[in-house]
Amino acid sequence: MTKHVLLPAGSIAFALLASTAIAAPTCGANTGAAATGAPIKVGGIHGNAAPGDFSASTTAAKAYFDCVNANGGIGGRPIEYLVENDQWNPEMAAQAASKLLKDEKVVAIVGNGSFVEMAVNAPLYKEENIMAMAAACAVSECFESSNIVSTNQGPLPSTVGAAQYIVEEKDTKSAVCIGLTIPNVGNWSCGAMEGYMTSKGLTGASVLLNPASPDVNSGLLEAVATGADTIVVNLPAGLAIAFLKAAEEQGLGDSYKWASSTPLYDRTVPEALGSYWDGKMFINAELTPWDKGGPDATNWLAVLDAYAPKDAARDTFSQSGFLSAKYFVDTLMKMDPATLDDRAAVTTAIKAITGYTSDLTCGPYYVGEADRHMPNHAGTMVVVKGGTFETVRDCYEYDSPYFAPIIAQEKALGLH
Amino acid sequence: MRALLISLALWGVTCLVLAVGLGWGKPAQVVGMFVVSGLAVGSLYALGGLGLVVLFRATGVLNLAAGAIGMSGVMIAWQLVEWGIPAPLSWIAGILFSSALATGYGRSIAPRMAWREPVVKAVASLGFALILLGLASFLWSDDPRKFELPTDKAAVMILGLRVTVTRLLVVLIALAAVVLISVALQRTRLGLQMRALANDRRLAALIGVPVVRVETMAWALSGVLFGFAGLMFGDLVRLQPAVITFLVVPCIAAAIAGRLQSLPDVLIGGLAMGVIESLLTLSDMFKSIRPVAPFVIAALVLIAMNRGRRLTFAGED
Amino acid sequence: MRHRALAPILVAVLLVGLLPGIVGGQWVKIFTSTTCFALAAAGAGFMYARLGMVSLAQVALMGVGGWVTLRLNHATGLPFEANLLVGALAASVLGMVLALPALRMRGLYLALVTLMVAGAFEVIFTAYQFPNGGAGFWGVGTSFSAPMRRPLLGESDTAYLRYCLAVGVLGFLLIELHRRTAPGRAWALIRRSEAAALASGVNVTLYKTWAFGLSGFLAGLGGGLLAASLGLLDAATFKASESVLLFALVVVGGTRFWFGAIVTAILYRVVPGLLNNWGVDADLALVFFGAALLHAVITAPDGIAGQIAALFAWRAPHDRA
Repeated sequence: MTKHVLLPAGSIAFALLASTAIAAPTCGANTGAAATGAPIKVGGIHGNAAPGDFSASTTAAKAYFDCVNANGGIGGRPIEYLVENDQWNPEMAAQAASKLLKDEKVVAIVGNGSFVEMAVNAPLYKEENIMAMAAACAVSECFESSNIVSTNQGPLPSTVGAAQYIVEEKDTKSAVCIGLTIPNVGNWSCGAMEGYMTSKGLTGASVLLNPASPDVNSGLLEAVATGADTIVVNLPAGLAIAFLKAAEEQGLGDSYKWASSTPLYDRTVPEALGSYWDGKMFINAELTPWDKGGPDATNWLAVLDAYAPKDAARDTFSQSGFLSAKYFVDTLMKMDPATLDDRAAVTTAIKAITGYTSDLTCGPYYVGEADRHMPNHAGTMVVVKGGTFETVRDCYEYDSPYFAPIIAQEKALGLH
Repeated sequence: MRALLISLALWGVTCLVLAVGLGWGKPAQVVGMFVVSGLAVGSLYALGGLGLVVLFRATGVLNLAAGAIGMSGVMIAWQLVEWGIPAPLSWIAGILFSSALATGYGRSIAPRMAWREPVVKAVASLGFALILLGLASFLWSDDPRKFELPTDKAAVMILGLRVTVTRLLVVLIALAAVVLISVALQRTRLGLQMRALANDRRLAALIGVPVVRVETMAWALSGVLFGFAGLMFGDLVRLQPAVITFLVVPCIAAAIAGRLQSLPDVLIGGLAMGVIESLLTLSDMFKSIRPVAPFVIAALVLIAMNRGRRLTFAGED
Repeated sequence: MRHRALAPILVAVLLVGLLPGIVGGQWVKIFTSTTCFALAAAGAGFMYARLGMVSLAQVALMGVGGWVTLRLNHATGLPFEANLLVGALAASVLGMVLALPALRMRGLYLALVTLMVAGAFEVIFTAYQFPNGGAGFWGVGTSFSAPMRRPLLGESDTAYLRYCLAVGVLGFLLIELHRRTAPGRAWALIRRSEAAALASGVNVTLYKTWAFGLSGFLAGLGGGLLAASLGLLDAATFKASESVLLFALVVVGGTRFWFGAIVTAILYRVVPGLLNNWGVDADLALVFFGAALLHAVITAPDGIAGQIAALFAWRAPHDRA
C-alpha cells in the first residue's frame, strides 16, 4: 500500500470546494421570502440500493427546489418535490411512477436518476402526457422516447466523445470498446462507437462483459486479441476499476492508448486507480468539470452547501440534477400562473424550451416536440493527473453519424 | 489417492478437450493465456468452496452467507487501512472479523434451527447474508474503491501471461489449506471428531463427541477461510459488497464439484470450472454467457454423482 | 367442515371484487406484482408440502414464462391469453426437465441442482435481456420498446389487477383440484415411501414430473402476467438470489395451508412497498428483511400461515392423510 493511496479520501474534494463555494445561493425569484401558497407537486425517481446509488441528481434538485421555496417560490407557491426510490427494481419503478402520476398527480417529473426507471416508465409518461426532465440517464430508452429529456449525456455520446478525442489527438487507428452485455446500455453505446470509427475510415470493435462474471481478465485478453491500439472503457466505475486493475497487472498501461466514458469522472477514482494511471487515462466529462467555475457552477455549490445534507455528493449527476431543476423552475416562472396545476400546460411549456444555456454544459438545452431528445452531446476531456483531474480539451462537439437526426432537430429549432 | 488421481485426470481431460476444441486454429500462446487466466479465477471459486465444504461436513449447514461474511471482512480491512492502521494488522483484523461473524451465527442462530432440514437451514442463512449486505451498503456509500495487497505489484510470466504474486498466493494457499485440513482431519483428535460428525451426527453425539465444541471450531475455521477468500475477492474481483456477497453461488458450484465432501476435488473442480469459463471466451456463441460454465458443470456433476441411485425409501437427506 | 370451505371463497370474492376498486395507482401495481409472485409461490409451496421437493429456480422459471410471453407478443398478433398460455407451458416443460434429477435425488442435492439452473438463467437473462420488439431470435432492439398487449378485459391497470387476481384464483383452484384427485393421492404415497408407491402401482416418474410441470406452469403464468403488467421485463427481477429468497419466504409463509402462498407473496412484494412508503432506507429494509426471515424460520414451524391457522384452530387439510 503506497503513501499515495493513504491520502485522506476527502482532501481533494475539500480543496476544490474551498476555492469556489463562497457566494450566497440565488434561486428562482430570489426574494428571500418563503413561499406560502398552495404547493405545486413535482415528482422525482432515483435508484439507490445494493448495486449503486444514483440519488445525487434528486438530492441536488431537491436542494434547488428548497432554495426556490425559501426565495418566493413560483409566484409565491412552493414546489412540493416528491422523491421515490426504485431500488433498481423494475416493479418498484412502475409503482413509483404510478404513485407520482396517478395518486399524487404531479405536473412533471424532474431530476430522475436510474438504470431501470426510464425503460419501464417511458410508455406511461407518454400516455399520461407528462414530461420527465431527467438528470442521470444510462439506457437507450431515456434518449429515444418522446416524453423524456435528460440533462446528462448517457454512455453513448460520452463513449463516442472519448473515442473522438483519442482519434483526433493520439492518432488512433483501431479502437475497442469495453461495455456491458446489456443491449440497451453496452451494445447500444459501443455500437455507436464502432459506427463513429467506421465513419472515419478506421476500425472499431466491441468486447462486452457480463456483469455477473467475476472475471474481467478474459475480457481484457479478448480486447487485446482484437489487435486494437486503443481501449475505450465504457463500464460502471466499480467494474471499470477492476478492469483497469487487470490491465495494470498485465502491464498494458503504456502499450495501449486509454480512454473512458464519464463514470470514471468521479472524485474517488484517481485515488482508487493509483499512480499507475497518472497521465494515461483520458476521461470524457458529460457536464463541465466541477472546478471550472462560472455563475451556475458557483451557484450549484452554494445551493448544495445551504440546502443539501453535508455529505451529499458534488459530482456530475449532482450538477445535472441541479440544472434540470433550474431549467424547470425557469420554465414555470414564465408560465401563466393560472395554468401551473395543469399537467398538459406544463408539458407544453417544457416542450417549448429552446436554447437555455449554462456554464455547466457545453451546448444549449432544448426540448422540442420530437420522438427523441439528446440535447447534451458536447463535452470536455480530462486526464487523471496527480490524484485529481486535469482538463485536456475544453468543450467540443461530438461528430458521429448517430447525431445526424439530432443535429437536424437543432437546425429546425434554429440552434445549430 | 487413487480417487484423487482419477478426478485429476477426468477434469484435466475435460479442460484439454475444450482447450483444443475451442482454441482450434488459434495460436497456442493465446489459448495458454486463457488457461492461466482461468486458473486464477477458478482458484477463487475453489477457495470459497473449501470453506463451504469444511463447514458443511462438520455441521450439515450449507452457508449461503459465506460471501457476505467474507465481504464484511474485506470491507473492515479496507476501512482500517483507510484509517491508517498498518495494512497487515488490518488484513488480520478483517479475517478475524469474518471468523467472529461466522462463529457468532454458528453459536447463536444456527442451533435454534437445528430441527429444520438441511435445505431450510441453507436457505435461512440467506437471511444472514441480507443483514450483512444491508448493513455494509448502509455504512459504505457507493463509491469506487480498490483493495490492494503489496503482492499485486510483483509478477511472474506464465505461458505469456503476467501473473501477479497475489494470484499465485491464492492457488498456493488453497492448496495448502486442502493439504493441512486433510491432514488435520486424519491425524488430530478434533479432525477425528469432525469426521465422526460428518458420518453420523446422532451416533457421534451418543459416543460422546463434544458436538458444540467441534461445531464451533468448524464455524470459526470456515470463517477464516471465508475471510481470506473475501480479501482475495476484494483484491482480485472488485470491492463491491453486492458483487462479493453473491459470488457465493459459483463457490457453491465448486463445492458441488467436490460432492460437498472431498476437499481435493473442490480445488481441482473449482480450478477446472475457472479454466472452462475462461476458454469459453474463445467461442463466439458462448462468450457473452460464459459465467454459466460453473453452474452447468455443477449440475452435471450432481446428476452424474447420483446416477443409478433410486429413491426407494424416504430417509434423511 | 362447511365454514372451512367458506373462507377461501370469501377471500377470493373480496380480492377480485373489491380490492382493485379501492386502492390507488401505486398499490394497484404492488398488488398486481404480489399476485404474480403468489402464483409462483403456490407452485413452490405445494411441491414442498406434498412431495418434500425444493425448487430454488422458481423465479427463474417465471422469467422463462415471461420471456416466451413477450417473445410471442412481439412476434405474432396472437391475443394475450394465447401467449400467456404458451409461456406458462414452456416454463412447465422446463420444470419437467428439472424433474429428471428429482428421480434420483432429493433434499439438499436436488435443491442445489435447481439453484445451479437458476444461476445459469441469471447469466443468460443478463446477457440477452427480454424481448422488446427487436429483430432476431432474442428479439431485443437497443433503441425502442414496442408495446406489450394486455388482455381485452384488463386494459387499464385496475382492470388488469382484477384480471390477474382472477387468474390467481384459477391457479389456486388448479392446485386444489390436483390435491383432491389421483395426483394428490399419488403424491401423498410418494412422500411417505417411494417403495410403497411403486408397490401400489403408482407411476412415480409420471407423478413427480407432473408435480414439477404444474409448479413450472404456475411460475410461467406469474411471469407472463408480470410482463404485461410492466410492458417489459428486466433481468434484475430474476436473479438466482431472488429464487432462493422466494423459497425462503415460502417456508416462512407456511406451506401446509393454501393461504401460505398469499402470505409469502405479501412478504415478498407488499412489505418492501410499505417500508419504501414509510421512508425506510432501502439498505436498512434489507437488514430488517433478513432478520425477520431468520426469526420466522426459527420460531414458526408451520410458517405464518400456521400461526394464523392456530389462532382460528384450523387444521391443515392433509393432517388426515
